[in-house]
Amino acid sequence: MKIVSTLTALGLFAACSAPVLLAAQAAEPTTLSIFAAGTLAVPFKQATAIYEKQNPGVTVQAQFGGSVKMAEQITDLHQDADILAVADYNVIPKYMFGATPHASWYAGFARNAITFVYTDKSKYAGEINAENWYKVLARPGVEIGRSNPDTDPSGYQTVQMLALAEKHYKSPGLEDAVLKNAPLANMRDTETSLISALQLGQIDYLAIYRSDALQHHLKFIDLPTAINLSDPAQAAAYKAGIAHTKNGDLAGTPIVYAVTVVDGAKEAAAPEKYVALLLGPLGQGIMKNNGFGTFSPAYAVHADAMPADLKKLVQPWPGS
Amino acid sequence: MAWLLAADRAPGAPGERAAPSSPRGLYLLCWFLGSLLTAFLVVPLLALVLSQSWAGFAQVARMADVREAIVLSLEGAFLSATLAALAGVPLAYGLARTSFPGKGVVEALIDLPLAVPHTVAGIALLMVFGRQGVLGEPIAALTGLRFWGTLAGIVVGMLFVSAPYTVNAARIGFAAVDPRLEKIARTLGLGPWRTFWRITLPLARRGVMTGVTLTYARSISEFGAVVILVYYPMTAPVKIYELFLRFGLDQAAGAAVLLLVVSLGLFLVLRALSRGAPERENR
Amino acid sequence: MTAGIAVDGLCLSLGAFRLDGIGFAASRGEILVVLGPNGSGKSVTLETIAGFHRPERGRVLIAGRDVTALPPERRKIGFVVQNFGLFPHLDAEGNVAIARRGDRGAAGKSASAPPRDPAALLRHFGITHLARRLPGDLSPGEKQRVALARAIASSPDLFLFDEPFSALDAQTRDELRDELKAFLREFSIPAIFVTHDHTEARMLADKVVVLRGGAVLQSGPTAEVFQKPATAAVARFVGVENILDARIAGVSGGMVSVDVARTTLRAAAPGCAAAGSAVRIGIRAEEVMIAVAAGAAPSVNRLDGKITALRERGPLVAIEIDAGLPLHAYLLAPQARAMQLGAGTAVTVEVAPDAIHVMTD
Repeated sequence: MKIVSTLTALGLFAACSAPVLLAAQAAEPTTLSIFAAGTLAVPFKQATAIYEKQNPGVTVQAQFGGSVKMAEQITDLHQDADILAVADYNVIPKYMFGATPHASWYAGFARNAITFVYTDKSKYAGEINAENWYKVLARPGVEIGRSNPDTDPSGYQTVQMLALAEKHYKSPGLEDAVLKNAPLANMRDTETSLISALQLGQIDYLAIYRSDALQHHLKFIDLPTAINLSDPAQAAAYKAGIAHTKNGDLAGTPIVYAVTVVDGAKEAAAPEKYVALLLGPLGQGIMKNNGFGTFSPAYAVHADAMPADLKKLVQPWPGS
Repeated sequence: MAWLLAADRAPGAPGERAAPSSPRGLYLLCWFLGSLLTAFLVVPLLALVLSQSWAGFAQVARMADVREAIVLSLEGAFLSATLAALAGVPLAYGLARTSFPGKGVVEALIDLPLAVPHTVAGIALLMVFGRQGVLGEPIAALTGLRFWGTLAGIVVGMLFVSAPYTVNAARIGFAAVDPRLEKIARTLGLGPWRTFWRITLPLARRGVMTGVTLTYARSISEFGAVVILVYYPMTAPVKIYELFLRFGLDQAAGAAVLLLVVSLGLFLVLRALSRGAPERENR
Repeated sequence: MTAGIAVDGLCLSLGAFRLDGIGFAASRGEILVVLGPNGSGKSVTLETIAGFHRPERGRVLIAGRDVTALPPERRKIGFVVQNFGLFPHLDAEGNVAIARRGDRGAAGKSASAPPRDPAALLRHFGITHLARRLPGDLSPGEKQRVALARAIASSPDLFLFDEPFSALDAQTRDELRDELKAFLREFSIPAIFVTHDHTEARMLADKVVVLRGGAVLQSGPTAEVFQKPATAAVARFVGVENILDARIAGVSGGMVSVDVARTTLRAAAPGCAAAGSAVRIGIRAEEVMIAVAAGAAPSVNRLDGKITALRERGPLVAIEIDAGLPLHAYLLAPQARAMQLGAGTAVTVEVAPDAIHVMTD
């Protein structure tokens, strides 16, 4: 008798869960899957809210993480994504345009700047400003956090910025002096995971994006545009800032956020509408509100490969 | 199949027709479900191992930083398990033998770290053990010991998420020891310490070793809590993740397999230790 | 002060349970049995003597020392529990060897000064061949010997037994009991034995203490407690099968007449109560003599009656008789067969006057 009742119980359980599972499948409105850089989390959530209101049949599922990690999830782990948005526009041609292409164009829709954030608790918080920052940061006892240049864009961008600063301020040894206070112990995969360390006083200064500073309401230093990688027009000058990483020597490039629609998306209309929203006035407004710089209109590379609705929202990349 | 038939001839039921509730049905169910679960656990690991070519695996095994990361994980886990044993075993004994108001709360609190998301745990530990932490600051001032980016930080992260295993398993082990045996030992002239050491602990050995092994295993695999406090030097999970970010799946999988192989060897040793033949008391 | 055990005015609260002024004593070589139903406080009393509970009031004296404030390991006690409490992870020799105190000073030890060395002890108890065996592989008898050898190795001044035989079959119990008795005589160490089985108590005890609800109901030499229980409650507990309400009709010399139901019996009870008072009488079933022959010469306390029930009890037959008052009696089974007794058979019963015990309750 017991085995009969056990099997009955199991059967009932299966029967009850089946409808739930089936429902999850059948009901499905279209899902739009986005992989995006961590720094885009907040603005994208706002854009998604607007998008879903405009397109009620579509649910957006967004994942945020390091730009390279997100790209590799598509290329290596073969995960399904419709849109890829990265913090460094170079990631797309480097990873997605390869031997097996996963994308054929990209649009730069926002820009950022490298800066240092700090709190009232930080050492020398009262003194530091846009002129003396590199001297303050080099003082003994100052703890600086940054992300890993081998794995994260903001990591190598910080190093590039310091290299440019060394020339800009004509202060040889500036890069090493500052990096001395940013030892391996203060390094993480992504800069955002160090924000709690900053808030808890474990580190005094954190190399991070200006957008993060504004989003987290943290004090930050306004570094000159000549070094903070925020201006695509100064791209040539930025090349002089070189970061030596395990992936090779990386020359500085402007921090431009780029987006593309991944090849082989199940249904192209939904992702295209999202990108259109991003590149259009609503999207630009959202990016500005979150501390990012914008371009009017957005820059694009391989625009001829873009769908028509998107092509009209972009202009050619400067210098191309 | 003979054992299946033998189950029907259980004493007390000679000649009875095998009812559905007889052991045979139960054994079949156990086998079936057990095989499913074992397969569920083993197949992904096997897939991981088989995804490696021998050459690729050998290359990863040659990378000094991968080996260092594994050794660091083993070191940290060893310290974590040791601390869990030193502090957790007495706690488990107390919980097994005494009752006091609020005991249920204490036991629930001990289980709590298992439910806390690892990142949250890491931040909480940073709050306490960081540069300006309520414990971190005085400890650094008094002893110079720091937890940010150090082995101590690794151990703290590991210990927090894995100590409950030691306490729970050891507590069950102690509870299974008949308290009358302890009483008899006392009447034989053994003081409370000797009684614990010569009678209670050996009899609870299985439970204690299971708990410590679980703590050790859990410590090796911990990522989220550890990485908040310590990124460099890299433990194995952190290293594997970094390899994934830099080189992709293949290298990461290779390092993971190396870690698995080393861990498997260790666990076999620990299990063998926990079984142990009964001692002979020769004065 | 003799080497022995004395407990004086022990009071203890353990949760909802209380011990109320427990006191008794036994001297060297005596076996004292604490008899009582489950929940009467026997084990708690034993554990208090052993030192596992702190009494609120009262003292425990072992071999003349006041041990009330001492921890168990300093009290010099051998403790044997149900299934003998051998340490399962040590072999027989290991169990015996782990005892401490075996080698310290020899003052006041038992007369036959047994050796404390484990090997010698194993030899003494005839269990050398079991030295390497684990407790799980020992028979109850072998376990008892190992447990006793182990206890002796710690040079105890007192033995405590907490129902060690209750999980064993009758025959094994008898064998082990006899061995235990011989062992205790040999080492001449006082022992307190706890049980709820009055038969066992009767077999082992030199003195009996009847315990119920945490209080001592009666204590004294075995014969006295069993033949002359102080109250009906004690009587029930020591296995007096016949307890009847009666009234004292008259007192003369050393004899008392009691009216029971519609009969008058004569009991040899030294001046207990005044005529007219309500009492209870107790008669042990084995003291009720049965004769089938009718019309024999009239004798004291002879009653005619009829058998109402017969029950087989192994070698005995328990007989219930209605002789104007209900009586339980025993006969050996062959006797009952020979007398061809059955339900309804008319019988004559006789009870000796000194078998009738008067209780003023």
